[in-house]
Amino acid sequence: MTDLSELQRWMSDALTRRRAVERDPAQVAAARARFTGNERVAPEAQLETYREQFWLRHTGALLEDFEALAHVIEQQAWERLVEEYLAAHPPSSFTLRDLGARLPEFVRSASWLPHHSLSADLAATEWAYVEVFDAVDSAPLDPSTLAQIPEHAWERARLLVAPSVRLLELDFPAPALRRQIRLGEDPELPARGEAHLVVVYRGSDRNLRHERLDRAEFVLLSGLARGQALLRATEAVIALGPEAEARVESELGSWFGHFAARGWLTGVELA
Amino acid sequence: MTRSRLGLPDLGVGAGLRVPHYRDILQRQPAVDFFEVISENFMLAGGKPRYHLEQIAERYPLVQHGVSLGIGSPEEPAREYLTALRDLADRIKSPWVSDHFCWCRAGGTELHDLLPLPYTPEAIERVVTRAKRIQDFLGRPLALENTSSYLTYRESSMPEWEFISEVAERADIGLMFDVNNVYVSAYNHDFDPYEFVRNVPHERIVQIHLAGHTNLGRYLLDTHSGPALDIVLDLYRETIELAGPVSTLIEWDEDIPPLEELLAEVERARAVRDGALAARARRSALGLDASAVPARPERYRIVREQDTRRASPGWKQGGPREGVAHEERS
Repeated sequence: MTDLSELQRWMSDALTRRRAVERDPAQVAAARARFTGNERVAPEAQLETYREQFWLRHTGALLEDFEALAHVIEQQAWERLVEEYLAAHPPSSFTLRDLGARLPEFVRSASWLPHHSLSADLAATEWAYVEVFDAVDSAPLDPSTLAQIPEHAWERARLLVAPSVRLLELDFPAPALRRQIRLGEDPELPARGEAHLVVVYRGSDRNLRHERLDRAEFVLLSGLARGQALLRATEAVIALGPEAEARVESELGSWFGHFAARGWLTGVELA
Repeated sequence: MTRSRLGLPDLGVGAGLRVPHYRDILQRQPAVDFFEVISENFMLAGGKPRYHLEQIAERYPLVQHGVSLGIGSPEEPAREYLTALRDLADRIKSPWVSDHFCWCRAGGTELHDLLPLPYTPEAIERVVTRAKRIQDFLGRPLALENTSSYLTYRESSMPEWEFISEVAERADIGLMFDVNNVYVSAYNHDFDPYEFVRNVPHERIVQIHLAGHTNLGRYLLDTHSGPALDIVLDLYRETIELAGPVSTLIEWDEDIPPLEELLAEVERARAVRDGALAARARRSALGLDASAVPARPERYRIVREQDTRRASPGWKQGGPREGVAHEERS
């Protein structure tokens, strides 16, 4: 390693430390050995300017993407969460857009968080919005295409789900709570209720939306999103019970029509 | 002899394209000569950012400015990053691509900052080698920008202007000359900003940045907040007198004002630029060297007074990301 690379790796380590440079005598000495400072700003304070900015910038980026989570767990827990998260997952992408990619998983494992289950739902929801926001564009499926699929091809055909669709199985109405918080409200925290099955998607106007689905619709769309052929995805719905089976008989066409109208489907692959 | 601006066009006076202005720009189509986009905000697969970019690209010339190249980092920029950068440049027909003389990653950690390099022969070698390769890969001129800095390395063996000049000459690349950064670093490190302005290769300046900053008393922060100070515009005037007509851009990333205010800042810069070009033309008409700007000692005075404005919580380096944070409030 060159002297330059060695210096930079030392600096990278120094900048990502949580403790202020001035409070660590070893870092102060190291900074004085490497930087000149001037009559107004000591060498350690020069380094501290950058260290402080590292934390401000990354905390700020996470706060932009997880505003509702930060609101619910409040400042102290939020700061601890960010600190532990960045220590476990230092930024590794050129874009801050990716910074929170592993935060939902991290929140799930952080059982010390206040309102832990709700926090996990919020983190998953907020990250889904980030992913949907700039997912690959895709033309919506023309609903008339469905009518043109030959009967014999239905079993093995695959309906392609748009990249800008995310499906969430939640214990709390997190998308609605997220929206209230982002609009500046301070809502009561919801109680755990029945499962909230939600699709987060980007509409044809490129605005982000969410919609609640019932279990049968959710299972069907989830199967399609996983790449299952129509027959297999439909069988998973039927496996929910006799009521679902009856609905498949009577409502399958309207479900697909609804999915297509919302832009959740983007194509058909015939095997 | 190097062709002026490496043969690149003078686009006039433009502004950084920022999220809060998209709607106004598309509806009103104001008289701005060009816009600059932050590359990383648009190296995305789809959605609103790309949609807006395409709409604006149909109406205005766009140039591309990045913040994540980190050309002086221990690790080379990733191929995937460079490919996305090139794809974006092809898509928006950016006549050049710019980034910074800096480093931003080490040991696999992306620091998302424009960290200054020590001004040493080793750093020159590294940046020259990579700049040549990257320029070839991008298939269009690369310009690197002098950064604002807040620390000085003991091992630096030359002034910043000598460092950037040698890299630019040896790598045969352009300079993105940030006049506000010259002033911020001059204040922070006690050098003469005019010496900096006078000692870079002016024919390699392909674009100029102007911006405001925040005075924290002991040092200046390059927040891109507020209008450019008069003293920065004085430096800009000097730069134009020396370099000639160079594309000039207003950056405003903190406390972003309404579009009207940004446009007023564009016109303020245009007036300075026109005056400097007229002075240059007068010298030329008299048979004098157009770039022989008379010495103006004691022309500037660094004011070490803290702004009464709230100190910025952090420099943004390219403005807010277009993201979900903006989605439900726009």
